Amino acid sequence: MPEITYLEAISDGLREEMRHDSSVFCMGQDIGKYGGAFKVTDGFFEEFGADRVWDTPLAENAMVGAAVGAAVEGLRPVCEMQFADFIACGFDRLVNVAGKMYYRQGLAVPMVVRLPSGGGFSGGPFHSQNPEAWFLQSPGLKVVAPSTAEDAKGLLASAIRDPNPVLYLEHKNLYRRIKGDVAEGRYETPMGELGVAREGTDLTVVSYGAMVHTALEATEDIDGASIEVLDLRTLCPLDRDGILESVRKTSKVVVLHEATRSCGVGAEVCSLIAEEAFEDLDGPVVRVTAPDVPIPFSPPLERAVLPQVDDVKEACRELLAY
Amino acid sequence: MPQMGVSVAEGTITAWRKRPGDWVERDEVIVEISTDKVETEVPSPAAGRVAELLVEEGSTVDVGTLLATIDVGARPGQAHADESDPPAEESAVESRQSIGSGNGKATPVSPVVRRIADEHSIDLAAVSGTGRRGRVTKKDLLAFIEEGPAKPAERPLHSESPYKEEPAPAPAAGAAEGEQLSVMRRQIGEHMVHSLHTAAHCTTIVEADMTAIEAARGRLSYLPLVARATIAALREHPRLNATLEGDRLTVWDEVHLGIAVSLGEEGLIVPVVRNAHELSHEGLGARIKDLAARARSKQLSPDEVGGATFTITNPGRYGALLATPIINQPQVAILDLEAVVKRPVVVSDGQGGDSIAIRRMTYFCMSWDHRALDGVGAAEFLGSVKRNVEGWSD
Repeated sequence: MPEITYLEAISDGLREEMRHDSSVFCMGQDIGKYGGAFKVTDGFFEEFGADRVWDTPLAENAMVGAAVGAAVEGLRPVCEMQFADFIACGFDRLVNVAGKMYYRQGLAVPMVVRLPSGGGFSGGPFHSQNPEAWFLQSPGLKVVAPSTAEDAKGLLASAIRDPNPVLYLEHKNLYRRIKGDVAEGRYETPMGELGVAREGTDLTVVSYGAMVHTALEATEDIDGASIEVLDLRTLCPLDRDGILESVRKTSKVVVLHEATRSCGVGAEVCSLIAEEAFEDLDGPVVRVTAPDVPIPFSPPLERAVLPQVDDVKEACRELLAY
Repeated sequence: MPQMGVSVAEGTITAWRKRPGDWVERDEVIVEISTDKVETEVPSPAAGRVAELLVEEGSTVDVGTLLATIDVGARPGQAHADESDPPAEESAVESRQSIGSGNGKATPVSPVVRRIADEHSIDLAAVSGTGRRGRVTKKDLLAFIEEGPAKPAERPLHSESPYKEEPAPAPAAGAAEGEQLSVMRRQIGEHMVHSLHTAAHCTTIVEADMTAIEAARGRLSYLPLVARATIAALREHPRLNATLEGDRLTVWDEVHLGIAVSLGEEGLIVPVVRNAHELSHEGLGARIKDLAARARSKQLSPDEVGGATFTITNPGRYGALLATPIINQPQVAILDLEAVVKRPVVVSDGQGGDSIAIRRMTYFCMSWDHRALDGVGAAEFLGSVKRNVEGWSD
């Protein structure tokens, strides 16, 4: 198995699905000859032609709307937002039209919207957000957020083949930083199943996306404690059983994400644990997240806002000692 | 004791799934019962706390008997009514740090620690805590349990007595501990022994060529087609479609066909295809499949396991070649289907020429009751089954 970057794994997964299924096509700004803002579709225009690699105008509403129509008619569009932040412009098409199409009309909407998300490189407030929680309150949408190259490819394949609209969050800070052995050819990472990034018995860190790597680094050695790190991988539907199984084992939980704090994935995980595993808890369930503020451009301020390795270490130490 | 079917008058409590003080949800299984026809799980009629169990495991009571009472006014999460913490063995634990000492404010106990302590009847005051403000953590508690109960005080010294106890005899090598037979096994045993003591068992065997059936069965197993052939033979020889009770023989018009279904190590059960003579082999196949599936998931009603007029048992798929089955009382015969195997056999063409061919062959083994009929009747019947099978046409 070749070792490739997270970014290459996304390209690879998209390319394999397009080669295999002629109904899969891409839409996005500058994704054609230019190959996309981050070069995910580099070479796609040459291989698949202008019919299957569409450059769209700066109009996410139109792009997502066109994708919904194409999906209803049986195609499998994959939209690229240049930055996840811009999906706000396509919000209505996504949550009101795509997400409720099956409920209202019984029609499948097999579309994927790729959301390059997350901060850590001074992108400022419009190019650094983690908007996943917006979609968790819109029934009818699925949300995935891979943290490894292997899952980046496998979850993209699952998302494309799924009959529902799927938001695919790809963390920009993982694009070229994270590498992994990725199988050639086509495979799927099942949606709705978390991964155990590291097994442990004393404390569980629940995370996803780039923060999985922060969690692994932070908990490598905290006074010899055995710390389990869960990689949620799919945010909707959540792997409730997988989370509860780990909580029942360790009884102490830190929930970690890069997104802002209130009403987020972490809040949902905490509620689940409080409702379903109360009698298994040996301490408060702790969240480590960004505060409810825009992401600053200034590098020191951005570092202060986004959860860092030391923040996670401190939270784990506190909870272990509780 | 719920009414489990029109013909059931009593039931035995096999196992209580709840004990007094337990919380039970509506429709959660509360007790397993066994009747002379089926074993089944009984769901709770209401949510609440089990107040009292009135019938012990192993007891048999009439339908309508009160088995247990449930307090529907209780709330989940309350402690067991019959539990009280045993006093801690203070003397056995040397100067353990007591929780809640110091500022007079009790150290909080986490939910998991409270639960585990309750489950093991442990006084948390006896456990030393390493958490914040001396809190007992889950780890502390598990370590405490791991250590085992505090050691009893040392016995006083005494001079050694010359008397030595005889060592207990060592169990024979490899001997396993005996175990009580399940209710189902005991009932099967009683029925089988009763039948052997009652009927004049005799077994007749014919060989049959299954090639025509093989061609016709498609995705079905052999069983429904052979069952169809058997039913046709029973209509021709109604004396086999009968029950014998005492010296009273009843010959039945309808064929209610019993099919033995194995439940694995647990035992076997014989659900009944009612009015089987009205069904095609496809219809029989569907009914048998449905009954077998529900037998395995314990969802048969008692009325579906009684009243057969003839029984087929079908262990052939496990490769057995011959068997002498025991009649399912009060019927007068039971047909056993054995493995279908390819054999070289002599076949004759229309002009009297013989040749050796590879054919799918099997044995039909039928045990019958010599009190009800004689060997000729059994052989004629089996000959009819054989003809129906070999000359199968849809």
